[in-house]
Amino acid sequence: MIISFPHMGNMHVVLRSLFAGFGCEVMTPPPISKKTLELGAKYSPETVCLPFKMTLGNFIEVLDQGADTIVTCGGVGPCRLGYYSEIQKGILNRLGYKFNLIAVEPDLIDALKKLRLVSSGKSWLEIYHSFKIAGAKMSAIDNVERQLNFIRCREAFRGSAEKIARRAIDSIDEAQDIGRIREIADTAIGELKEVKQINNIEPLKIGLVGEIYVMLEPYINQELERRMGEMGVEVHKTMYLSDYVRAHLLKKKEYISLHEVLAALARPYLGHYVGGHGLKSIAQTIHMGQQGYDGMIQAYPFTCMPEVIAKNILPQVSKDLDIPVLTLSYDEQSGEAGVLTRLEAFIDLLKYRRQRKAAQLK
Amino acid sequence: MLARVGMPQGLLHYNYGILWERFFQELGLEVIKSGETTRATLDCGSALDEICLPAKVYYGHAAKLNNQVDYLFAPRVISVNKGQYTCPKIIGMPDMLRNNISGMPPVIDVNVNLRQSSRNLYEAVAAIGKIVGKGKVASLYAWYKAWQHRNQPISKYSGRVDGPQVALIGHPYLIYDRQISMNVIEKLRHMGINVVTPEMVNASEVAQASKTLGKKIFWSSSHHLAGAAIALLTAKRPVDGVIFMTCFACGPDALIGELISQRAQSINIPCMQLSIDEHTAEAGFITRLEAFTDMLTRRWPL
Repeated sequence: MIISFPHMGNMHVVLRSLFAGFGCEVMTPPPISKKTLELGAKYSPETVCLPFKMTLGNFIEVLDQGADTIVTCGGVGPCRLGYYSEIQKGILNRLGYKFNLIAVEPDLIDALKKLRLVSSGKSWLEIYHSFKIAGAKMSAIDNVERQLNFIRCREAFRGSAEKIARRAIDSIDEAQDIGRIREIADTAIGELKEVKQINNIEPLKIGLVGEIYVMLEPYINQELERRMGEMGVEVHKTMYLSDYVRAHLLKKKEYISLHEVLAALARPYLGHYVGGHGLKSIAQTIHMGQQGYDGMIQAYPFTCMPEVIAKNILPQVSKDLDIPVLTLSYDEQSGEAGVLTRLEAFIDLLKYRRQRKAAQLK
Repeated sequence: MLARVGMPQGLLHYNYGILWERFFQELGLEVIKSGETTRATLDCGSALDEICLPAKVYYGHAAKLNNQVDYLFAPRVISVNKGQYTCPKIIGMPDMLRNNISGMPPVIDVNVNLRQSSRNLYEAVAAIGKIVGKGKVASLYAWYKAWQHRNQPISKYSGRVDGPQVALIGHPYLIYDRQISMNVIEKLRHMGINVVTPEMVNASEVAQASKTLGKKIFWSSSHHLAGAAIALLTAKRPVDGVIFMTCFACGPDALIGELISQRAQSINIPCMQLSIDEHTAEAGFITRLEAFTDMLTRRWPL
């Protein structure tokens, strides 16, 4: 059994470690490229959202390389993600691929059953241990990236922070025990703090909200975080993989209470959960508006149902809280130059607003 | 003077409109409907961005009623069946109305959520009654009276013509809206086609057919569409062709359309996807319909 999974940002590091711990042979799909995008778009329904096309592209590429089992996620709606696996299976079968698709539903008993399928012969203790290591890798990577986003806009030499973070993520990928993983992350964060910075700058603060796949996958979002950092903007991504896992899969208490706070914030604008991250996009915009952020960016795949609802409500939020919001909707046609132009214009606007506010204060 | 309740004629109005209208009349309120969709509805609905056409149409209907009524009836229908949702856009609709139309009358946006328990319906009915100033008993009695009229058919079309039979699969708010569907049912009948719509397939057949799906569909209307299509495709005398009608940017349909066309292809029944939006021109639409029906007529009888 050669097991594989879809890409999403740095998720492959976590999943590879997890499945390897189960004693499976793991094959990571080739990194997302233009070819992945083309393959995915070619065989997908035309107006389906981008993550569907991209993950289908991943599956085709990795099946071509010899994988025979794919693990992906299920769901209970109303977001389309929950029904991806069923349709993708149909498309791949029609293309003639013979493989086993395991869709993990958000249901404990189902998840354990499927887990047993891929981890035969391992004791529960070993399984627990491999979850621990995967979890440690996930948190370590996210902590490094958070620090990177803070430093990148302040660094004196472009690219110096990025280099440290890349190297750290690669060593986390190879590390085998929890102590070592934490050590690598701590050293990297220490090194990042030591990076030579420009003196006395106060970068613009922009919050990034939207759909998780587009937010986490740099190939798809045209490296939004790096570009903004290099334009001198401190980016606060509101969702990392570890946040998602802790909130939705482990249902940690602090995340459940955070969700209640966010839902209460959003209630005057959106009174009910609409699937995906629509409610959170609105709530975080309100929250960050109150905290005095300079602007917000909402990034999502074209035709994403929950985010489109949020998009149609955000202008009112933006008006009420006096915080500019830029919405970027991505599909397979999104061009680099178009996104860049819009980003530059948005950042110029924010700089101007800041100057005007300072002048008014004087 | 009676209090006036405005009912936008869009989205779920095609499924439950008769019931709700009756309910308000039993409560002693005047119901003002927004009327059929027109070009102006579409123009007004374009205030919403990137969203599917039926959502824009609904918005247009609601905006039209804005100054004519005391209450706007736009319930947040989250779920109508256990374990299923309607559609995110229907769930978020009252909020999109409120944040985009200024000076709205009080909106009756009571949550209807039968996802966990069907008892929620009675709570919702009582809550609606409360907003318009009626007691619990009066509201529930009005609902009981209205419930007697639940089985009125949506479709007014009947009678067979001598020709191939086509399953026209699409949401009721799309295929029965004569403006946005370009009156597709009449056009097909005119071309000598027997049209079967998902509403003509009963729930038990749908349930039976949808057992062949690997995973239950969690949008109730899409569940019905897919189940009905499969039932019609696998019946003893299957339909001669399938037209899957969808509108651009409909989320669930993007997946369900693929599902239905996979099924149709596997048993060699012609299947066409017709995608429409507010820019669709009638001439192009007719050409596609004609090409498809000509092909079916030539194959018929086999």
